[in-house]
Amino acid sequence: MKVAIELEVNNESYQVEVEPSTTLLDLLRERLHLTGTKEGCGLGDCGTCIVLVNGMPVNSCLMLAVDAHGHQVTTIEGLATDGKLHPLQKSFIEKGAVQCGFCTPAMILSAKALLDKKPQASVEEIKQALSGVLCRCGSYKKIIEAVRTVTEGREDGA
Amino acid sequence: MKRLKSFSYFEPADVTEAIKILAEQGSNAYPLAGGTDLLVRMKRGDITPTALVNLKRIKGLDQIKKESEKGISIGALTSISAIENSPLIRSTYSVMVEAAGVLGSPSIRNLGTLGGNIGRASPASDMAPSLIVLQARVVIEGLNGRREFDIEDFFLGPGATTLLTGDLITSFFLPERAPNSAAVYMKLGRREGPDCALVGVAVLLALSGKKDGAREARVALSSVAPVPLRARKTEEILLSGPLNEDRIKKAARVAAEESSPITDMRATGSYRKEMVRVLTFRAISKAMALAEKGNTGN
Repeated sequence: MKVAIELEVNNESYQVEVEPSTTLLDLLRERLHLTGTKEGCGLGDCGTCIVLVNGMPVNSCLMLAVDAHGHQVTTIEGLATDGKLHPLQKSFIEKGAVQCGFCTPAMILSAKALLDKKPQASVEEIKQALSGVLCRCGSYKKIIEAVRTVTEGREDGA
Repeated sequence: MKRLKSFSYFEPADVTEAIKILAEQGSNAYPLAGGTDLLVRMKRGDITPTALVNLKRIKGLDQIKKESEKGISIGALTSISAIENSPLIRSTYSVMVEAAGVLGSPSIRNLGTLGGNIGRASPASDMAPSLIVLQARVVIEGLNGRREFDIEDFFLGPGATTLLTGDLITSFFLPERAPNSAAVYMKLGRREGPDCALVGVAVLLALSGKKDGAREARVALSSVAPVPLRARKTEEILLSGPLNEDRIKKAARVAAEESSPITDMRATGSYRKEMVRVLTFRAISKAMALAEKGNTGN
């Protein structure tokens, strides 16, 4: 039994039919070919599958695709606009906050969700916001630095 | 990719329809709320539901509101992050905000729901101890209509509750808090970040007019018994005289005695027992300090 759903992914509308057992992660990677979203543990522990749903980070491996019906999903592919990288993406590159890169999409999206709400978030708030994403390279220090750099660049709160 | 096995799928539009479907589909049909626990168990192969009944199309199950009967009601589908960020809950039941803020990770809290956390009846629930000390009532609707339980009486064992086939938790009712009372929740994990509780302790104290005594004292523990545990002997100690350091120390020791933690991959039973003592002492001291200052918690 397939279920018809409509959702917006990175500002594009999609109408798809999915099996109810399809997770949002399955849909993004295998149907929409948005492979920037990664599967780590697949069980909600590692956070690498995090995407934004209506601006809020969620583990896409633990959300059924049918529950994305009517919602706006943002993946890492949706951050650059007109070929220009998002400030967080630039900062991650400049600070060398990427080692193997597997957790990077989830780190950047989690940081984006925070900074969209709190452009001048403190280091503590950044750590808290990223606490659900594991980086097995252990490059947390650079990652936090990269996010911090973006908050400092936004003193006007824009 | 970790796949979910296929299942029959239902999207009821109201509670009555959901109950009917759950009853018809039998005990291997599961209600789907946030999915953060259910889908994990399905992927691990711990359970193989024949049907999922998605509750998210039912309107009004995610509301936090003041009730005419004094207190507030929290809908079963209210997300953990909605509790964490609710000004209404923060102003009176801040212990719930505290507990919500340490449950899982931010992204899990955006998905997970209060009804799911309690309905799962995990002994390690971060929300249960706070609900117990606040004397919350669980509102259930089922084939035979609506009924309410004290949350304490709801848990029967790990994963086991008083819910019958077809039953749904629809909301939680938190009665108004006593004046000069404060409640706190403290949790110990293996690390500071998201982790399952090794020990969780919630304490509520209401101070009496007489100096140093407590009029009400409730203590609840998670992760150290087959169910979220109300520590009644600990409460008796707290109510038996002035809340001086000796009495608080004694209460903390009794809490450790009342607990019956198991040894597992996360920690040994004896370590957990000792940590019950440490956390209970700290939680009582903090609740007392807050109640004295007239704060409600946090």
